[in-house]
Amino acid sequence: MLPLVRGKVDRMSCSRSTDLAELAGARSISVAEVPVAENEPLARDTYRLRIYHPPMARRFLPGQFLMLRLADCDDPLIGRAFALYDTVLDERGEPCGVDVVYLVKGKLTRRLARTPVGQRVLVWGPLGNSFPPIAVDEVVMVAGGIGQTPFLAWARELAGQRMFGEPPRRVPVVPRRLLLYGTRTADLLAGLEAFAQAGLEVQLATEDGSRGHAGRVTELLEKILQCGKRPAVVACGPDPMLAAVAQLCFQYEVPCWVSLETPMACGIGICFSCVARVRQDGDWDYRRTCVEGPVFDARCLVW
Amino acid sequence: MEQPAVDLSVSLGRLQLPNPITVASGTFGYIREMEGIVDVGRLGAVIPKTVTWQKRLGNAPWRTVETAAGLLNSIGLDNDGIDYFLAEHLPYLRRLPTKLIVSIAGRTADEFARMAERLEAAGGVAALELNISCPNVAHGTDFGADPVKCAEVVRLVRSACDLPVIAKLSPNVTSIVEIAEAAEQNGADAVSMINTVLGMAVDWRRRRPLLGNVLGGLSGPAVKPIALRCVYQVRSRLSIPIMGIGGIASIDDVMEFIVAGASAVQVGTANYYDPQVTLRLVTQLPGALQEAGVTSVRDLVGTLRVADEVDRG
Repeated sequence: MLPLVRGKVDRMSCSRSTDLAELAGARSISVAEVPVAENEPLARDTYRLRIYHPPMARRFLPGQFLMLRLADCDDPLIGRAFALYDTVLDERGEPCGVDVVYLVKGKLTRRLARTPVGQRVLVWGPLGNSFPPIAVDEVVMVAGGIGQTPFLAWARELAGQRMFGEPPRRVPVVPRRLLLYGTRTADLLAGLEAFAQAGLEVQLATEDGSRGHAGRVTELLEKILQCGKRPAVVACGPDPMLAAVAQLCFQYEVPCWVSLETPMACGIGICFSCVARVRQDGDWDYRRTCVEGPVFDARCLVW
Repeated sequence: MEQPAVDLSVSLGRLQLPNPITVASGTFGYIREMEGIVDVGRLGAVIPKTVTWQKRLGNAPWRTVETAAGLLNSIGLDNDGIDYFLAEHLPYLRRLPTKLIVSIAGRTADEFARMAERLEAAGGVAALELNISCPNVAHGTDFGADPVKCAEVVRLVRSACDLPVIAKLSPNVTSIVEIAEAAEQNGADAVSMINTVLGMAVDWRRRRPLLGNVLGGLSGPAVKPIALRCVYQVRSRLSIPIMGIGGIASIDDVMEFIVAGASAVQVGTANYYDPQVTLRLVTQLPGALQEAGVTSVRDLVGTLRVADEVDRG
């Protein structure tokens, strides 16, 4: 028996899930030039960047993302997508700021790492869908590399610690919440304290064995599924990892969602760059990850 | 302080626009994606993503790669075809409080003409832009690289409908003036330029092209000098109105294109990285015109002063 997955994700729906008219009415995107409020190292080459923008923060749902670029800068030119790490609360407990976590990888993130507090950035969000509300006994989050960033906020939500969205959405509390988190080496593991505070049980894997399981994070997942557990699985990380996770979930017949890290140019659906192959009527079509994702039912994607 | 009256309206042949700030096809989706971000009623016109006769999947990812001050794209005219456009997009688009220019791309001159007929019959379309310059599909630039073929497609579309026709030209040609001339002589109301500049990006470590389709079109600030050159060359030799496109992201960029000879502009890549840029340009335009000492956009078009002895090529 599959665990109960209720709500709008109950049935597999890979047909054009986002009616554009609905979308336009439903989403409310803020575009703002704001100063960087904090830019703190979390691990090697990994930083947490904070901006304050209450209207944006109030609407953010776990699994959504924002686009960010340096203001008045032609090179790097294009914004980059960053998942919501957590919202920041003001003294009344209202969301007023947004944290994202980035790994130094390319032109923009190299510049960001050297960006002082007060430097202005252009941000737009919240963007994309979000993690689905699910009613299950156990959720296993699988994170590879910098793919851990979207899970903190969701862990808080599933633990009943926090509500997100405007109006705040109510999701069932999930009793057991496990994070499987793998990186190449131990010094890249970021935010472990925050994940513990969010009530997550965390199992680590490093490819060089410097901490936790020596090997891939998907091996941890396979062990769990081999034990006969039937959690809902949600993964974020590089495509090969996501493919491996999806394959395991198909094999063990557990529900699986993936949050894609597809490179984007606009984040708002106007450029058609970030397409993924989505099943449709026995065939497939390219769909925009920024509008119809980044979170997809793994069964809807062509692997 | 009382604002002196500034006339922002412009004419592109038979097409009148309330102001010269519009958006380039393929850089504003199907417009409704921008609902809540840009009040499109303030724009001179909108141009949705190019429509083709049949549905096209588009090219394999990656479809965009950033390069120095620019963006290389190879989307490949991903769209659901004219039937879907007429049924699902046009009803929304024609209700917008702005002029609608529909960008079309046929594989044959006949496909262009048939789409033109159907769009005119459907109603609500202010003008057509003929995308004869897409570098990312097989034969995409056939009509835009050969004056004879350009002439044929413009003539056929003009005889198929009464809508104003704008031919969108490619910079990837030996003489853009020759192509513009063919468009003008065969009844185009205006030409828009430039489409993207053919380029590529390479990952030498993996020895692979970065774009799924290998080659792509470069856009953004990096191509602005090329676009200005094209506008200037065409304006110097022909009298057909021009929509300038290429790296426009600031009010200075807009003014440069107008002075070089553009009657209107299309903002493209900047929409991706600065989603409200068009609104800022519309707001800033009256002040810039005042600074230029003119009271209408039209008084500024093509007013570039070039010394007589310069060889204009």
